[in-house]
Amino acid sequence: MSKVNRIWRGARWRDIAARTLAAVPLNYAVTSALTMLIARLLPGGGAQASIAATMLSFAIFAGLAMTAFAVRSVARLWIGLVAAGLVAGGADWLLISTGGRL
Amino acid sequence: MKGGFRQSMAWLHTWTGLLLGWLLFAIFVTGTSAYFQEEITRWMTPEVHSVPADPASGFVAATEWLQREAPGGSEWSIYSTGKRAAGLQLYWANGPDAPADAPTSARLDGTGSEVFARETLGGWFLYRFHYDLHYINWYWARWLVGIAAMAMLVAILSGIVTHKKILADFFLLRFGKGQRSWLDAHNASSVLFLPFILMITYTGLVSLATHYMPWGIAANYTDEGKFFEETAPWPVPAEKAGPAPLAPIGPMVEQAERRWGTAVGSVRILNPGDRSAQVIVSSAPDAGMSIALRSLTFDGVTGRPVRAQDPSGAATVTEDTMIGIHAGRFASPLLRVLYFLSGLAGCVMVASGLVLWTVKRRAKLPDPERPHFGFRLVEKLNIAAIAGLSFGIAVYFLANRLLPLGIAGRSDQEIDSMFIAWGAVAIWAMARPVRRAWLEALSATALAFALVPVVNALTTDRSLFASLAAGDSVFAAFDGAMLLIAAGFGWAALKVARRPSGQGRRKTAARGSSARGVPGTEAV
Repeated sequence: MSKVNRIWRGARWRDIAARTLAAVPLNYAVTSALTMLIARLLPGGGAQASIAATMLSFAIFAGLAMTAFAVRSVARLWIGLVAAGLVAGGADWLLISTGGRL
Repeated sequence: MKGGFRQSMAWLHTWTGLLLGWLLFAIFVTGTSAYFQEEITRWMTPEVHSVPADPASGFVAATEWLQREAPGGSEWSIYSTGKRAAGLQLYWANGPDAPADAPTSARLDGTGSEVFARETLGGWFLYRFHYDLHYINWYWARWLVGIAAMAMLVAILSGIVTHKKILADFFLLRFGKGQRSWLDAHNASSVLFLPFILMITYTGLVSLATHYMPWGIAANYTDEGKFFEETAPWPVPAEKAGPAPLAPIGPMVEQAERRWGTAVGSVRILNPGDRSAQVIVSSAPDAGMSIALRSLTFDGVTGRPVRAQDPSGAATVTEDTMIGIHAGRFASPLLRVLYFLSGLAGCVMVASGLVLWTVKRRAKLPDPERPHFGFRLVEKLNIAAIAGLSFGIAVYFLANRLLPLGIAGRSDQEIDSMFIAWGAVAIWAMARPVRRAWLEALSATALAFALVPVVNALTTDRSLFASLAAGDSVFAAFDGAMLLIAAGFGWAALKVARRPSGQGRRKTAARGSSARGVPGTEAV
């Protein structure tokens, strides 16, 4: 019984650790990539777009952090976040390298 | 996560709230005090009797003072202390002929004569602590505070999601019912003040936004400096070009006030007494809800305006208004009191949440008489954080009156006193049984706050009665507030003392735990 309990606890801690890693460091990377993308896409000049995107970033981070603890599958969570980060990061790179910066 | 969406959000609410709750409490308490930063500073410099004066003539008098005391400087800055305290804060850069240890700042009263007061950082220290902490590097302190603020945002949002009956809890506050009462206090303070608490958390993050999320700027600028140059230009003195008299400052201040319809908050003079002189007149930060400052630059020799800077752009205005609403500098006295009460509700929310964590778990412990290490640690840290900081702040005020006036590094010693007192409560809490430690720490805090007006009366001529007789609302209200806070802690100590201990408490706790399924309990 205690062995089963230990294994269950181990699984639970692994689950929490995987979600926490997704919710904090991975989330920060994904939110940063999305913030950059929004700052590139918003109209009104570089400064206004940058400020608006920066202000939105906290809502994005909080939403993704909650999602990380709400969804059922940890594997899908990681795949989804990594994919979103790669797509946004790729778009950032493409937009900056073609459009340049101030 | 195991279980449904609501359960996983309840779990998230509990653990983000617990892990960052102690730091959040300190941020909330000192941040709340900052709504009365000017008033605290005035109480902590009792030598200064504020003289009401016309700000425009104050700037002129300050310029004359600087011409006398700091000639040859490359830059003079004159800041009005705002509508709540008539006075001027001066900073300057000395010229090459001045000795290296020559002063670079001074404080003037509204009429332009220098004010000499005890060395203290006053309310400004508590304000700065709420986002820069102390003893540690400000860069990392801001990251710690930001992590706590983000945890708070997540805890609020997950708390809202967890909550089933938000409206019903508006009117629910049941006293003397153990766990239920703690939950009611937590719910009432957070639900009733939810708009404020959500606002203050988000706008707090926005206040330091580029520190936490510099990538929005990096997307459009190769260098952060270029962004700040564009959005908040800060001209520096040019190469000197030969002497020329400075044009009168008065007409410039009046012209700016006419143009904006609001008060002037600061005047910066670059290269005074030189042909390249420039005078930058900026609007007052407490003139409107947004902190965005308008400025008008004048040629320092001819006195003609050469450049106007008005903040524009929807994002800029949104950001500056968010920061303005957070700081509340614009607030009228009544709104300022509401800000303060809302801040107190935030403190109650965090503190009751922390206590609730232990109250809720105590009943479920295998042996409530001998809890495990983690549980005991949380109990002790709660005492250290909640009672310890409060005691420390009372000691900060006492130290302001009791430390000798002439000693070196006096303002630092005031601050050290606060942390020594805080640390002493923490050590005391570790050494004593939990219930005794709560009782003793809360009693000591009540006593310390009650002593503040007494020590003030003994060490200055501005006692509560003298202030009331003189109609000095700031000093009278400060002493009165100390007595109210003392009464609050005294009441809390009395509640702890009256609570049945041992067997009785276990029964109450057990009754509390059977209340599961009551709306809202799953929030913790």
